[in-house]
Formats: sequence, structure tokens, C-alpha cells
Amino acid sequence: METTKEREQNQTNLSSVERKEVRHSQMTNENIRELLEMLDNPDAYTDQEIQDIINRDEDTCDTYSLMVEAKRSSRHRQNRKSVDVDAAWQRFNQKRQSKQHGFDWMKIAVFFIGALLVSGITFAAIHIIRQYQRTGVPQNDITENVTQTTTTIPVDTLTKDTVTVQPVIYDNIPLEKMLPEIAVHYNVKVVFVNNESRQLRFRFVWNPQQGIDQVISDLNQFERLTITRKDNQITVE
Amino acid sequence: MLEQRILEDLFRRNYSEMNHLAMVLLGDDKEAEDVVQDIFLRVADSDIPPKNDTYLLSAVRNACLNRIRQMKLHDKVKGLMPIEDEVDLQPIDKQFEWLDDIAAYVDGQMDEPHRSIFHLRFDEDLTVSEIARRLGLNPNTSYKYLMQSIQKIKHHLEKH
Repeated sequence: METTKEREQNQTNLSSVERKEVRHSQMTNENIRELLEMLDNPDAYTDQEIQDIINRDEDTCDTYSLMVEAKRSSRHRQNRKSVDVDAAWQRFNQKRQSKQHGFDWMKIAVFFIGALLVSGITFAAIHIIRQYQRTGVPQNDITENVTQTTTTIPVDTLTKDTVTVQPVIYDNIPLEKMLPEIAVHYNVKVVFVNNESRQLRFRFVWNPQQGIDQVISDLNQFERLTITRKDNQITVE
Repeated sequence: MLEQRILEDLFRRNYSEMNHLAMVLLGDDKEAEDVVQDIFLRVADSDIPPKNDTYLLSAVRNACLNRIRQMKLHDKVKGLMPIEDEVDLQPIDKQFEWLDDIAAYVDGQMDEPHRSIFHLRFDEDLTVSEIARRLGLNPNTSYKYLMQSIQKIKHHLEKH
């Protein structure tokens, strides 16, 4: 058994390089220990603390990556059971049908909302003109007043209330047509890195009220698509 | 829209492997099935079938990585998910070989109590204190053994 005196003697005998190595190894062990403790109870740590612990040094970061692989390996080994593909196929068809029905209802709802909106605008226009006629304002004044009424409504408000608020459905439209239309709304430029991605077609529901980053995130859900944004430019890979 | 017969054939041929990959990456049966179903919904809506079956597996992996990317950091570390985007992804068959290799090393070459500690931590998701209680060890000793288990796997993988 090494006594304290002997240990001190051994440490003094170590070269400065060796001492550095020993210190480094001790620090690494402490950092990895801290990582394991954090993983046992992540709720006790803030996001920043978790990031700091995992990225404390290269060894700790590598250890976390290895633990990710070890966990995957465990799931890989434990889940080799056979799957009931018949039941899965049935569940898939049910989901497909419910999605199709949901989509049909959405189409009908969009049609009715559109019809209501158009009839509402028509009714409002007739109502305004009749009111002016009833007050006996001369014809040329009516025209002037009506023009003033419409111009006093800010353009933004009109656009938002009638067109922009409604989600836009792109169904089977090539990306090269769809994305520039969306980009104009956010005042950004679109760059296609390769021609293949230009022809990709999706069914995508664009809500213009969403921010550009949310829209990009939604589009990135399509597995063949990677879109990134830097300042005022969107790049499609 | 893809012909129903072609779709069913694709589904039956690939579902098990796709579901397994999603399960390995996400660790949740329901989410795994959801990912695979979404991919087949998109395949069903397209006019042409995917070029090959590998394409479907890549689609699963990308969809899973997207889901992981959107998870909260705490949920990622609880499920031992990558916290950064994974770069330099290996082909999927190589990735499975790598996972098989880890499993074979743990069961074939790792000594006790390292092997038991590894299984309790990664198969049963026990904390180090729980492992210590289960094996009648001191918690400090259990930490040391767990660290050593991970180091052993690291050295083994470096050799190969």
C-alpha cells in the first residue's frame, strides 16, 4: 500500500509533462462523473448547465456520444421481435382514410369561408352605397366619399383580412413555383443548389401568419428537402 | 397517386425494418410507427414509387433526426439522444453493424460487474444509485465501473 509520503515523493519525481497528464486525466474523470450525475437527474439542471457539462471537453463530449450509441445498441438488441405487419397495414389504411376525410372537410370549410367572405364584402358594399343614396348626397360626391372610405383603410389591413390570413394550400406544386411565392411574402431570396430539388412536389399548407423560420422548419419535415436561411436568403439543397 | 397494389407491396416488404430503425433512433413504439406511417402517406400521394428500399430507410432516419432536433434538451438527454445534429452519417447497414458490434462486445467480452452495470444502465434505464442498490455496491464504485464500461467500449471500437 502506497503511503502519502511515498505518493508525494512519486509525484515530485514525475516530470512536468507527466504531471500535466495526471492532472488532465483527473479532470477528465471529474467531468465524466459530472456528466453521469447530470444524466441521472437532468431536471435538476438548466439547459445551459446541461450544454456546458456535455461540451466541457472533448472526452466528455465523446463519452456522451458513446452513451447515445450504447443506448441505440440496447434498443437494437431488445427490439428484434417480429412485427405484425398485417395489423400495421390496417392501422396505416385507417390513418390514410381519416386523413383523406379530414382533407375533404377542410376543402368544404375553405369553400364556405370563401363564399361567406365574398358575400359579406358584397353586402357591405351595397349597404354603403345605399346609405349614401338615402342621405341624398349628389352622385359625384358619393363617388368621392366611397373612394375616400376605401383608401382610408390601410392596404395591410385589407390584405390581412381578406387574403393573407387564410392558409394557402399548395397541392402537388413544384417547389420552384411554390417557394418563390412564399419568399416574396417574407422579402427573402431563394437559391436552389441543385435542379433536382426544383421539381419536388408536396402537399404543403402555408400559413402566412407564421414566421419564416417556422415555415422553413415545417418544410424541412419533408425528408428529401433541406432548407436553410441566412439573413435574406433561403438556400434549398 | 400510387397504385394500391404497389403501395401494399412496398409496405409489407419494408415496414418491419423501417419500424425497427425508427424505434432504435427514437426509443418509442408509438412515435416510431407514426414516422413510418407518415412516410408511407407521402409515398401513397406521389405518382412514382421510391427508387429503392434504401431510400425508404434513409427517409426514416431523416424523419427521426428531424423529430429529435425538435425535442427539448431535457427530453433529449433523458432519452440519450444526440444533442447536436449528427454529421458524417454512416450508411444504415453499417450503423446496424456498429450497434451489433457493441452488443456483441458487451455480452461476449466485457467482465462482471461491468456487463451487469452496462445492462442495468442502458437496458433498464436505472440511475447509478439504483444500480448500486441493486448490486449491493457503493455508489462511488458504481460510477467508477460505469465509466470503465464506457471506456472499454470506446477502446474496443477504436481498435476496429
